[in-house]
Amino acid sequence: MKFSKIRVLETGHNPGSWNMALDEVLMNGVGEVPILKIYGWKPSCVSIGYFQSMDEEVNLEKCKEMEIDSVRRITGGGAVFHESELTYSFISKNYPQGIMQSYEMVCEMLTLTLKKLGFDAKFSPLNDIIVGGRKVCGNAQTRKHGVLLQHGTMLLDVNVEKMFTVLKVPKEKISDKAIEDVKQRVFGIGKKFELVASAMKDSTSETFSAELSFEDITEEEERQRQTLDSEKYSSKEWNFRR
Amino acid sequence: MKNLANIFKAKKLIKISMSYDDKKNVIGSIKITGDFFIHPEDTLETLEANLADTKLERNEISKKVEESLKDSEAFGFDVNSMTDAILGCLKNE
Repeated sequence: MKFSKIRVLETGHNPGSWNMALDEVLMNGVGEVPILKIYGWKPSCVSIGYFQSMDEEVNLEKCKEMEIDSVRRITGGGAVFHESELTYSFISKNYPQGIMQSYEMVCEMLTLTLKKLGFDAKFSPLNDIIVGGRKVCGNAQTRKHGVLLQHGTMLLDVNVEKMFTVLKVPKEKISDKAIEDVKQRVFGIGKKFELVASAMKDSTSETFSAELSFEDITEEEERQRQTLDSEKYSSKEWNFRR
Repeated sequence: MKNLANIFKAKKLIKISMSYDDKKNVIGSIKITGDFFIHPEDTLETLEANLADTKLERNEISKKVEESLKDSEAFGFDVNSMTDAILGCLKNE
């Protein structure tokens, strides 16, 4: 799929509710020009999938102790510990209607990003990118009112022990072997955030034959973000709704 | 009413908790969570609502799951695995 222009937002490192609120604001307001948002998480955060239960998935006591945030996403999938990673959101009114085809569209840009960084990356349906058989990028999407949102994480580094501390993993699974298994299945690319961001922007332009328009969020978007942040993504009603 | 629960590994993990009337063999209310995907997302709430007051029997459950999912796309489970996940609560009674 080709786009003449893509709006690029680099919003820095922000709390979970900040990041998720802005995704929804952008989804509600996107026009014909798709949006690529590149961002990170500060403090570190656990996001849970739309269909998950915060109580079932997250060790909230440990999160509090370690000053780690938690938030529910509007997309499905599993719980993710966001720390050393680059996260992106791609928002568009124009996209293939098939779920698989739309993942493929955005993941083509992600595999090119990794190739530019020197990795032999492959799309692994439905929603992963792998390098040498190990997951390096997980993705999730939703569609609302004719708009596609796909967001995902590019792992820069993986701290499996910390991940097992903040996620509620059954005790029998927190063995040295289980930790080793996860280390064999996931892979941090060990590159700097800025370098990956730069490769992602180039890949976006190439994949979609698009001119990139670098912008800040508007005052109106920020006003809406604040409202959604406080009324939805910071609320117990949302985060503990399942 | 009894409270039943089950964790079932389909392609993704399905976690079920329900209230269950064992005298009538009927589901009271049910909550389904997991790391799967359904588009559109509110299909899951429809499924949970449709399963209330349903007999905990394979044909009944399977029919309700199939009806509820008919206009959606699910990834990580199908009608059979969701039915198995729900019926599996009985093993943990």
